[in-house]
Amino acid sequence: MRTLVLIPCYNEEENIRSVVERLQATCPDVDYLVINDCSTDGSEQVLRENGFNYLSLPINLGIGGGVQSGYRYALANGYDIAIQMDGDGQHDPAYLHRVIEPVAKSELDMCIGSRFLEKEGFQTSFMRRLGIRIESALIRILCGKRILDVTSGFRACNSRMIAFFADHYASDYPEPEAILSATLNGFRVGEAPVLMRERQGGTSSIVGFKPIYFMIKVSLSLIVDRLAFSRKGGACK
Amino acid sequence: MSVTLQLELLLGSVCLLAMIFYMLKKNLLSVKYSLLWLFFAAALILFAAVPYVVYVLRDILNIEIPVNLVFALLFCFVLLVLLSVSVAISQLAEKAKRLAQSNALLEKRVRELENKLNQH
Repeated sequence: MRTLVLIPCYNEEENIRSVVERLQATCPDVDYLVINDCSTDGSEQVLRENGFNYLSLPINLGIGGGVQSGYRYALANGYDIAIQMDGDGQHDPAYLHRVIEPVAKSELDMCIGSRFLEKEGFQTSFMRRLGIRIESALIRILCGKRILDVTSGFRACNSRMIAFFADHYASDYPEPEAILSATLNGFRVGEAPVLMRERQGGTSSIVGFKPIYFMIKVSLSLIVDRLAFSRKGGACK
Repeated sequence: MSVTLQLELLLGSVCLLAMIFYMLKKNLLSVKYSLLWLFFAAALILFAAVPYVVYVLRDILNIEIPVNLVFALLFCFVLLVLLSVSVAISQLAEKAKRLAQSNALLEKRVRELENKLNQH
């Protein structure tokens, strides 16, 4: 099984090196691709100097467009499995195989690494947990799929899912929207328990009261998505 | 509608039409997006030149003052144009995203080829 780890990176000059080195040390059998989303700090320099395998976007596309270019790369290079892993060190590569397993066994088309299944490790702030819970409930209402950690960016996809995402990937709030669109298109989505850590360095983009604002925007996007796209059952048969 | 308003409307719409044609000629506006504007300018000229059309429409739509009909239609038209602009922006954004991604994929291939060449 050819496996590719996609690591989106935006202004992660402090973290990216240790993230990639840790991945290489823990899982030497997988390929990786760092997607530098037009970082304004020295991320690109770090990537170049260390001889890492990376994509360099000419304009900032945001997480959705960045990750999508990774899926396009995976598709063009014939990978069987692609796994997204954040570039800030939150996701521990030790759990990589746990997330891949259900996809490799073809039990699922997309498997999300969830920190809430076993409620261990870093559980994030109360505000964010509340937001995630509401999004989770909303996704359940909209497509009947129960996913706890809807915002987790730690997820593995098989080749059919890669091909789908290379073509259609939400650009605004890609994590929850991808779950909805994959489910509505008949893909099997599920979760595997993982432990997450607090980000290692730098600052998160969503702080203070932003989670509430963010949650409202995500909810509206999800509802609009659901209204605009009808369910297609044929994709996995 | 008073004759003065009629004249003002006529003058305004002729100016608009002239501007559209000028922009088309200078390639500032593509034919695709000019159609909606041309249609709009033509309708305005029709209203100004033949107010009878406005009176009939007013009776059909049951609006008190004829000039309100002109304003209402103007507003509807502006909404329509705004919506079409949003559509155009969305399509452009999608295309720009695709291009940026393809560019990044190509840049990686070029970089790797260059590295390979330098090694020899």
